[in-house]
Amino acid sequence: MSVGDPGFPIPVPDQDTRPFWDGCRRGELLIQRCGACGKWLWQPRPICSSCQTPDPTWTQVSGDGAIASWTVLRPPTLPAFAAMVPFVVLLVTLDEGVRLLGYLVDDAGRVLTTDGGAEGVRTGRRVRLRFHDQAGTILPCWTLAD
Amino acid sequence: MTRPARTVRHRQAAVVGIHALPFSKSIGMTERRAGALAILGALADAGLEVADVDAMYRFVWENTTEMEMARILGVENLRAFGEVDYGGGAGAPTIAHAAIAIENSLADVVVCWRARNRSSGGRPWASQLHAVGQDQFERPYHIVRPVDGMALHTRFWIEKYGWQPEDLGRVAVTQRQHARRNPAALMQKPMTMDDYLASRLIADPLRLFDCCLETDAAMAMVLTTAERAADLRTPPAYVTGFGMGSGPQMTAMTFFYGEELGATPSRWVAPELWRNTGLRPADIDVVQFYDAFTPQIPLGFEEYGFCKEGEGPAFMQSSACPLYNTSGGGLSEAYVHGFNLLVEGVRQVRGTSTTQAPNVRHSLVTSGNVVPTGAIVFSKEPW
Ligand SMILES: [Zn+2]
Repeated sequence: MSVGDPGFPIPVPDQDTRPFWDGCRRGELLIQRCGACGKWLWQPRPICSSCQTPDPTWTQVSGDGAIASWTVLRPPTLPAFAAMVPFVVLLVTLDEGVRLLGYLVDDAGRVLTTDGGAEGVRTGRRVRLRFHDQAGTILPCWTLAD
Repeated sequence: MTRPARTVRHRQAAVVGIHALPFSKSIGMTERRAGALAILGALADAGLEVADVDAMYRFVWENTTEMEMARILGVENLRAFGEVDYGGGAGAPTIAHAAIAIENSLADVVVCWRARNRSSGGRPWASQLHAVGQDQFERPYHIVRPVDGMALHTRFWIEKYGWQPEDLGRVAVTQRQHARRNPAALMQKPMTMDDYLASRLIADPLRLFDCCLETDAAMAMVLTTAERAADLRTPPAYVTGFGMGSGPQMTAMTFFYGEELGATPSRWVAPELWRNTGLRPADIDVVQFYDAFTPQIPLGFEEYGFCKEGEGPAFMQSSACPLYNTSGGGLSEAYVHGFNLLVEGVRQVRGTSTTQAPNVRHSLVTSGNVVPTGAIVFSKEPW
């Protein structure tokens, strides 16, 4: 796949979400935290949904977390994903408490073609952050921690 | 905050006309034409004419606006109109908006319809490659198809509540049995539990037979005042009440970033529905739960309070469980974003379902439960 290949859905950042995607390109996972009440916020937003203070602070986190749920995606998929199936998408609860999606990847950030059985994917398992380059889009993803 | 029971009681709405074009994989006409024909059919069912119509409400993703439909049909003036959002969540809220217009004397004869070539027209998710808003954090990982988000919810419910594959299989098999009694239903082939368990995985733990159909369909419903309904040819299905809700921190189809994983907006709709109708689950004689996917049925029984959390599958095997999704529903009759469930809910009140529940006084219909949604009760008797 070439950079910007239109076969994969491409995130279209706006003013409120661009810092997240810029962080991914630097290998940093940035999550917003309210400077007034300390609430961690996901998905990105211009004000804190707990205390309505504007401009939550983009804060780098480790990406360490645990699997909250997971699925194995199988055909029919969008054509760009057809060579990857089956692959695992994780819903991960970060240690800060917010939940993000991401592929199950290997230590080098490559998407694993698997149903998760060989790796022992299960709810509650600890995961670590990796980044995956999907046709030029840098996506946060997760690898099993142990 | 506790709100009072409903105060608008002087002018009730009733469904007096329903109509569906034959369901198919390829209807061979525009959604505009199919929608107009469905509306004319529903008006004829009611014994009303276009000249009587003074309001229209439609679902989101209805390609013909109410303005255009009114122009085509020759409606003199729309005194009330609107579009209700959120796909499968829009069904009951669309009818609720029609009822609100009637109850508040904004309109006297309201048309609602759904015409969508969802089968021949292609899958909408297949062409949405520029991901904005919530989608930018989901679609790049192929959380794209409705089944992808539902699979992540379902894993959570299965593990939390100990649901077995057969618990979801019974939903698919039961609804197929209902469909086979309904000549209008698309799926007439028998389905056994073994057939269900052998169907291929699409997004684990969900299988092909956990998923609804993809259908070209056009359906319409006509509502008017209870007073006027008394003079019409069809037995009225009175709108006793409804509820709507989004829940907190809602993202459509992926309602799992909030603090409580596993809840759906139905949990917030249910208390509104029961307050607004003045009814309890035990008063409901038959239900049509939104069924894009099988797990929505046991979860529906739980979240609307027919049984306790996690006990949906056990309740569904008990004698206390009302008949559900009696036309075959989205799984086996047709997928019309739940409009077929609304029409079937009315048929149950009329006594004309092919899987008729006995002595129906109150008929519940819900809408899609992982998007902002609603529920409505049609009744045999007026307030
Ligand atoms: Zn705050």
